Amino acid sequence: MNDSSNDSSSQLDALFARARAHRPDTSRAEYGFETRLLARLRESRASVTASLWSIMAWRLAPFFAVAVLTLAVWQEKSSSDAADAAAVVGLDNPVAGEIWGN
Amino acid sequence: MADALAGSGDAFAELAARHKSRVFGIASRFAHNAAELEDICQDVFIQAFVKLRQYRHDSPFEHWLVRITTHKCYDYLRKRRHRADHISVEAMLESGHEPHAAPAPVADPDLERLHAALAQLSPKERLVITLLELEDRSVQEVAGLTGWSAANVKVRAFRARAVLRKILEKSP
Repeated sequence: MNDSSNDSSSQLDALFARARAHRPDTSRAEYGFETRLLARLRESRASVTASLWSIMAWRLAPFFAVAVLTLAVWQEKSSSDAADAAAVVGLDNPVAGEIWGN
Repeated sequence: MADALAGSGDAFAELAARHKSRVFGIASRFAHNAAELEDICQDVFIQAFVKLRQYRHDSPFEHWLVRITTHKCYDYLRKRRHRADHISVEAMLESGHEPHAAPAPVADPDLERLHAALAQLSPKERLVITLLELEDRSVQEVAGLTGWSAANVKVRAFRARAVLRKILEKSP
């Protein structure tokens, strides 16, 4: 039992030694590798830049939404204030009323 | 190296040209076919490019690269476990892989048996046996490359050899 185990172990070692000596030839696969690598690097950089832009856009979306709402409220408020002022000025001041066409 | 660190792709391509043989040599022990070999090597260098700033200059660049290669090969072994073993040429073309020239076939039938047996090992067993026995690395080196303890490497290697012996005894 022990002998057969030693025997198979030494057979395995012999196989490993042969496999070590036989290194696969990768020269054909290596040919032009840098060019392909550079192309992929550029591609991945472009996709990273695009995704960074989309992440930034999504992160800034609430800020822009708040800014638009604030602007809308401010505009609404300022236009109604102007209308109120015009109405007040038109009623109380006859000169201004003439100017406003009242 | 400084230019590559500054983000120059061309400088990094030069670095890749200098070290590609080492990476291809190791990856070819694990790759199933030429397309997978190309994918592993590209992934290794892309990861190296992305993490270049993490490289500490206290050891040679090639050591750092070999560690990345080892991890990538292990990732591929794990992924392959979850995939069908054989992918048709049509499927490879559809997925964007070019069927590059296949690695030179192993003429030796005994070596073919060994490779077939290695393919049946678990990813961890195959990794440890390949690094120890085919790449002729020491236990300490394998421990450094894999991040496992030396004792763990020894235990895994012992078990892997036992499994491999059983597989080879069963195969004709």
